[in-house]
Amino acid sequence: MKISAAIKEKGLWLVPLIVTILLWEVVAGYVIKNPLLLPRISAVIHSIYTLRALLVPDILVSLLHFSIGVVLAFLVALPLAVAMGWFEPVFKAIDPIIEILRPIPPLAWIPLAIVWFHLTHYAAGFIIFIGAFFPILIGSYTGFRDVPRVLVETGKVLGCIGNRKLIRYVAFPYALPAIATGTRVGMGVGWMCVVAAEMFGVGNSGLGYRLFQKFYFLHQMDYVVAYMLILGLLALIIDRVFRHFVEDELLRWKKGIVK
Amino acid sequence: MRGRSITSVIAIGAIAVAMVMIVGCIDSETPVEMTTIHIGYQPSTHQIAAMVAYEKGWWEEDLSSFGIEEVVMKEFPSGPPEMHAMLAGDLDVAYVGVAPPIAAMYEGLDAKIVAGAQTQGSALVIRPELAEEYEREGPLALKGKAIATFPPGSIQHTVLSKWLLDNGIDPETDVDIKAMGPSDAATAIGAKTVDAVLLPSPTPTIIVEEGNGVIVEWSGSIWPDHACCCVVASGEMMRDHPELLKQIIKTHIRATEYEIAHPEEAAEIYAKLQNADTSTIMHSINVSDMHWIHDPHVEVESGLEYARVIYELNSERYEERGLEVLGEEDIFDTSFYDEITG
Repeated sequence: MKISAAIKEKGLWLVPLIVTILLWEVVAGYVIKNPLLLPRISAVIHSIYTLRALLVPDILVSLLHFSIGVVLAFLVALPLAVAMGWFEPVFKAIDPIIEILRPIPPLAWIPLAIVWFHLTHYAAGFIIFIGAFFPILIGSYTGFRDVPRVLVETGKVLGCIGNRKLIRYVAFPYALPAIATGTRVGMGVGWMCVVAAEMFGVGNSGLGYRLFQKFYFLHQMDYVVAYMLILGLLALIIDRVFRHFVEDELLRWKKGIVK
Repeated sequence: MRGRSITSVIAIGAIAVAMVMIVGCIDSETPVEMTTIHIGYQPSTHQIAAMVAYEKGWWEEDLSSFGIEEVVMKEFPSGPPEMHAMLAGDLDVAYVGVAPPIAAMYEGLDAKIVAGAQTQGSALVIRPELAEEYEREGPLALKGKAIATFPPGSIQHTVLSKWLLDNGIDPETDVDIKAMGPSDAATAIGAKTVDAVLLPSPTPTIIVEEGNGVIVEWSGSIWPDHACCCVVASGEMMRDHPELLKQIIKTHIRATEYEIAHPEEAAEIYAKLQNADTSTIMHSINVSDMHWIHDPHVEVESGLEYARVIYELNSERYEERGLEVLGEEDIFDTSFYDEITG
């Protein structure tokens, strides 16, 4: 009974996955029949094996760029989010600037990244920073702005006098789920910027560099798709690890609110 | 309930597979009369012939008797995306560097080089403060420096790598070659994040005029008469529309000879279409060592060298697929040109 339940549970994601893989193989092999338009998934998997020597250094370099961008985005966005979320005048002063900068696509920052940070890992990190910063900021300050007045008043009654104590003991714990969601979205957007961040000569390795400057320029579409899949799989792993440590461990108290 | 939903998902998948197979079986290879022609080109003085023929209305004028009602000019920032569009069937004819179509031919591009467009015409530009060191030491002054150029497999990357090797500099270990597009490379040398760039005209002249660099070598002195740009025709054009292709080559010859005779007007046309400064473009044409040509035979020798270099860069992949280094007949089809010129 338990085995059958487990199969049914796994079937929820395994069956669509297998169907997609089969559909891909059939469409690419028997309908499109042109590996340049759509390589077979079997060829893509073979490419991942062929490229195994390049994969590890490329993944490490991309993770370095990602870490620089996301960590800096978090460190800058969080204090700003506290100020914007808790102090209304700060929000009114800074929000217009944020809303002007926010819609600028990370790609548009490339010329400035080159002149400000030169062709270094920090230039790539800066493009990822731009992608990750705004979702973290907005998610986080929304959490602080939404703190119910009754919690603030209760905090005061229980001895939280002054902004510092109220932020530390009332607002911050309340905003944590929003901060976590904003960070998760920010990490996702930051990862999407990895290819853009590595296509302007910051180095001679990295998933984005290899995909765009090598495989695409030489029309090696099975390699391009192989690296796209690796980008997707890594994003999934990063997201699962984040959710495990933050949502399942740090925010364990939240469990049971909805489910 | 779950069992039923899984069955439904499988059924939907099976139906989808069947649908796409049915759609895929419908034969769409019925020959179609060509009324629109798509020509690819890049914003470079190397390919002004395409712009001259367009601006003067020669494409429409010369091709209308073949049933062509519309000529669509598609601009690309560099050769690889242009060849990617050709692989996807979006281009019938392309003005492009000789190397990108060869790289695409290894991956199955059904096309050949049918005419020449230009030779030489790229320049090595170094930061002004390094000019004296270069004058004193020559190419050895580049050891340990960062040089921006087009990505591996491009003409510029091949020319630079070959020249460095000829001068005892290992392009892999002795210098830091950065793969970049022309705009990023121009920004990088301006911001002093690279020490030198090797780029096609007119970018070197633009960098010099902005005070960010000094031209120390033209690619003709690095590799005399090396092939640069050419005209590529799709396999469909060659097989199904040979007379139309001959006329396209005739119009290309007409435009090339016109630009050679009237470089000032060619510069004006380029400046107008690219929103550039005419005097800068004219200066770029005057100082550059490029030669506008239309004879594809001139480009065969260096074209074969590019084919060898590209093969070496990807030998593992190509060997696995049983590919050999492309030969002259795989890359060039000079028969149309020869028939026209006798």
